[in-house]
Amino acid sequence: MTGRKDYKVPGGKLLRVELELERGIVIRAAVRGDFFAHPEEAFEEAEGGLSGLPVEGLEAAALALFGKAPLRVFGASPADIASALMAAAHEAQADR
Amino acid sequence: MKLRLIDSVSGSGALPLSGALNMGIDEALVGSVSRGEAPPTLRLYRWAPPCVTVGYFQSLEAEVDLEACRSSGVDAVRRLTGGGAVFHDAELTYSIVLPIGHPLAPDGILESYRLICAGLVAGLRELGAEASFEPINDIAVGGRKISGNAQTRRQGCLLQHGTVLMDLELELMFSLLKVPAEKLKGKLIEDSKARVTCLREVLGRQLAYEDAALALRKGFAEACGAEFEEAPLSAAEDLEARRLAAERFSTPEWNERR
Repeated sequence: MTGRKDYKVPGGKLLRVELELERGIVIRAAVRGDFFAHPEEAFEEAEGGLSGLPVEGLEAAALALFGKAPLRVFGASPADIASALMAAAHEAQADR
Repeated sequence: MKLRLIDSVSGSGALPLSGALNMGIDEALVGSVSRGEAPPTLRLYRWAPPCVTVGYFQSLEAEVDLEACRSSGVDAVRRLTGGGAVFHDAELTYSIVLPIGHPLAPDGILESYRLICAGLVAGLRELGAEASFEPINDIAVGGRKISGNAQTRRQGCLLQHGTVLMDLELELMFSLLKVPAEKLKGKLIEDSKARVTCLREVLGRQLAYEDAALALRKGFAEACGAEFEEAPLSAAEDLEARRLAAERFSTPEWNERR
């Protein structure tokens, strides 16, 4: 089940999230968009860290992973990313 | 402070280059500056053919109509830097590579955008455009964006590249980008006209690239205290740039990775 969500950060950037779920577990998460993140690799590590998580823990995990130093995201907050992921998760769960 | 300058106008830079090679040169500069083989460097450059670049975190396939690019003879490349999709044609592009800790490259990312963009702002004012820095990373004239800038930090160096728009080709640009719905294209073009401007519009005349490049040099000298020493890419940098262009910036593994 795949969910996609475009999430416009108020006054900020466009997050384009894609989430693949299987039996309530995140198989793959992609957080794309026109934001900046430093270092770039740390963002990709946070993104990869979502795989294998149960969807119930996704929001809290996203807040922790994308808010963890040294990663800094400009143009979207960890809360924006978590919201976009949750919206994509709802799309995925509706995709039966 | 001393900056190496690579500029096609005065002969130290190449003529307009492909998207892959332009991105390869920027990355090669990071390598040579980080190893201390090259001094801090400012490069002024152009693109041929025209090129769409997307930000590091964007999906090329989702943002760019690759078929339209092919049929229009336009390159498409994913950047090392974040940010959005940019159509590089009627513009002046620059890159600057500095070791972190250089007076223009403090630890604070927002502060370094401000310090480097001050050179661009001064250059635009030199031309008669009342430009101002708009945090985080834009420069505007009369509230409309005229320059976008993007930064990454790797190997202990800052790489910032950006554009100064000399002309606007919104119809062509939107024919190369994917828009949510075809019927929205007209509205997107109208919105962009309200938000974005270019030197031709601001100055009321067509400016030669050479004049814009010269103004930018003056701006960096005046606002950043830059003293330029012109020198082309070294043979090693040139070789590395070509390798990166071939093995990274023209491959689907890089361009379509996200």
